Amino acid sequence: MLEIKNLHAKVDGDMILRGVDLEIPQGEVHAIMGPNGSGKSTLSYVLAGKDDYEITEGSIVWNGQDLSELEVDERVAAGFFLAMQYPVEIPGVGTMNFLRSAMNAVRKARGEDELNAAETMRIVREKAEALNIPLDMLKRPLNVGFSGGEKKRMEILQMSLLSPTLCVLDETDSGLDIDALRIVSDGVNAMRGPDKAILVITHYQRLLEYIVPDKVHVLSKGRIVRSGGKELALELEKSGYAEYGEDEAA
Amino acid sequence: MNIMTDRKTTAAEDALVERFDGVASSLPGANVDWVRKMRETAMAQFKALGLPDRRVEQWKYSDLRAKMREAHETRVESDAISESDIYDVLGVDLDEMLSYRLVVADGVFDKELSNIDGAEGKFEVTSLAETLNDPPAWFEEKFGKVNPQKNEAVLALNTAFMSDGVVIRVADGAELDRPVHLIMVTGSTKPGLVTTRNFVHVGEGAKLTLMESFSARRTPDMQRNCVTEMVVGDNAVVEHVKYQNEGRMAIHVASWLTELGQGADYNAFEFAIGGAMARHQNFLRFNGEHASAALSGAMMLWDNQHVDATTVVNHDAPNCQSRELFKCVLDDKSRGVVQGKVIVAKEAQKTDGHQMARSLMLSETAEFDSKPELEIYADDVLCGHGTTSGELDENLLFYLMARGIPEKKATALLVNAFIDEAIENVRNETIREAFLLRSADWLGEARG
Repeated sequence: MLEIKNLHAKVDGDMILRGVDLEIPQGEVHAIMGPNGSGKSTLSYVLAGKDDYEITEGSIVWNGQDLSELEVDERVAAGFFLAMQYPVEIPGVGTMNFLRSAMNAVRKARGEDELNAAETMRIVREKAEALNIPLDMLKRPLNVGFSGGEKKRMEILQMSLLSPTLCVLDETDSGLDIDALRIVSDGVNAMRGPDKAILVITHYQRLLEYIVPDKVHVLSKGRIVRSGGKELALELEKSGYAEYGEDEAA
Repeated sequence: MNIMTDRKTTAAEDALVERFDGVASSLPGANVDWVRKMRETAMAQFKALGLPDRRVEQWKYSDLRAKMREAHETRVESDAISESDIYDVLGVDLDEMLSYRLVVADGVFDKELSNIDGAEGKFEVTSLAETLNDPPAWFEEKFGKVNPQKNEAVLALNTAFMSDGVVIRVADGAELDRPVHLIMVTGSTKPGLVTTRNFVHVGEGAKLTLMESFSARRTPDMQRNCVTEMVVGDNAVVEHVKYQNEGRMAIHVASWLTELGQGADYNAFEFAIGGAMARHQNFLRFNGEHASAALSGAMMLWDNQHVDATTVVNHDAPNCQSRELFKCVLDDKSRGVVQGKVIVAKEAQKTDGHQMARSLMLSETAEFDSKPELEIYADDVLCGHGTTSGELDENLLFYLMARGIPEKKATALLVNAFIDEAIENVRNETIREAFLLRSADWLGEARG
């Protein structure tokens, strides 16, 4: 169970999250929708533990463990994974070398044996194939020269390789065409399971046709202002975010 | 120019002048007129110049006079060096490097520790001391005259005191199947001043990889002045690599004097991680058309290290290309200096020259000084330069940590991503891989 209680957070001195309350039981997929500037991405960075995102009040607890007290990498070891809206390009760091470093860091932190190069390669290839990621992408520097869709698939590949139990996807649908959207959604759906909690953050309802949520929440001005079933997403698609103050907090 | 009469001399300068009178008669070539005169002329020049300080434009960031307060005893004898000392130089198994091995121990060429089996018909090696004592005509004609530099006090000092080194002649058309590894080690634990000189002649169309490694693990405060003169024949292909891992208190000044023939292809690289004060000067001259040269280097510094990479490239012939890339990783209070001067002569039309210096600052107290200079006398050339200096990108660090990689390892990945771009310029795979491994360990050692 993910329990976010009364979460307040500042970025560069501005209060962006103003009391978020959210519970996601294991086995469920929840979606957070909301207008631009409502604090969606801030919430994802606060959960990940990025510097300059300061929690001033409230708590984030995953399966009884307070995530806010952990370093960024320790949260990953504890099962957290954030698929980012804008994955960065890292020239000079080979994708395979990076994947192996990440997998082994997490395995080591979880008390598992580290993988050798051949084992890593075998596992990565298998998962990459399912996500339609060509092998030559794995030979290039991380995300360098990748298209928007390729970067998002790379995020999902990393998510599946690090075996998280708490997944947050921040605007994973942005920049994806319909084929890529299907592939990415299949990847996310494959992660669903009784011990997993998944949070999908999105501006549009489209992604939720492929990743069908158990619950939908509306974030506005740094608070969850409404929650409902998957039909809430369709309603928002029709009515827009006008009543939730589109762009006001941007 | 006579600086020494304008100012008070330092203890180091006085000691060097006095010491020369004491050792001159016992230095190699003392019985050969031209060698003796060459040394005396050099010493007179040094007396006039003194050690270079910040008032000398080319040394303004690296004040050797201030750094070298005293001169150690000149070391002209070899102390006991063992296989393991040599093994330790690179930190990798040198047997795996499959190189021809030349060892200069404490400033003396060591035949016993050297091994050039299989060199027959390709190249010859003699010691500089032997060659100076009985110089052949071809040697007299070229020695000391390769890309000569005016008013360089450290070159003058080298000529005055050079004790030994190697003379390598690669035959025309010879293609060496493995690198020649010139290993400069010290065995003594006593501080000393080591002055060596190498002379390398690469025949027309020959192929050579020469690596110079410097290490003084048992002698942290070694003072070293070394010079390599190299003539690269027409259409020859040469890779000249240096690994500088001197002791923590060492002063290291190295100068490469190189001339390239027509159509030559020259790739120079320096990997510098050692020394308290180190300067590598690369003087390169294009003598023939259609030659190309790449000069690059990687410096990884911490603590109070001060390392300087200075290049002076003379484009004297048309249609030649030069490329320079120097990268520095600077931690703690270290200081990296990159100076690149490109001089294009009037007749050197169609010169294509580019230089780039980049630093990655890991601390707020580190310092990076970059000084590119262009002197262009031709009117149809393509020359450019650039410098960048930056810190670790927090967004990249966050991304790596958000994939479970701890901060230290994530930092190392980014440091290596930065520096390895320069190391990739090493063409020889075995050497390149050894450097990449070494650079991967660096952060862990620097940060304990």
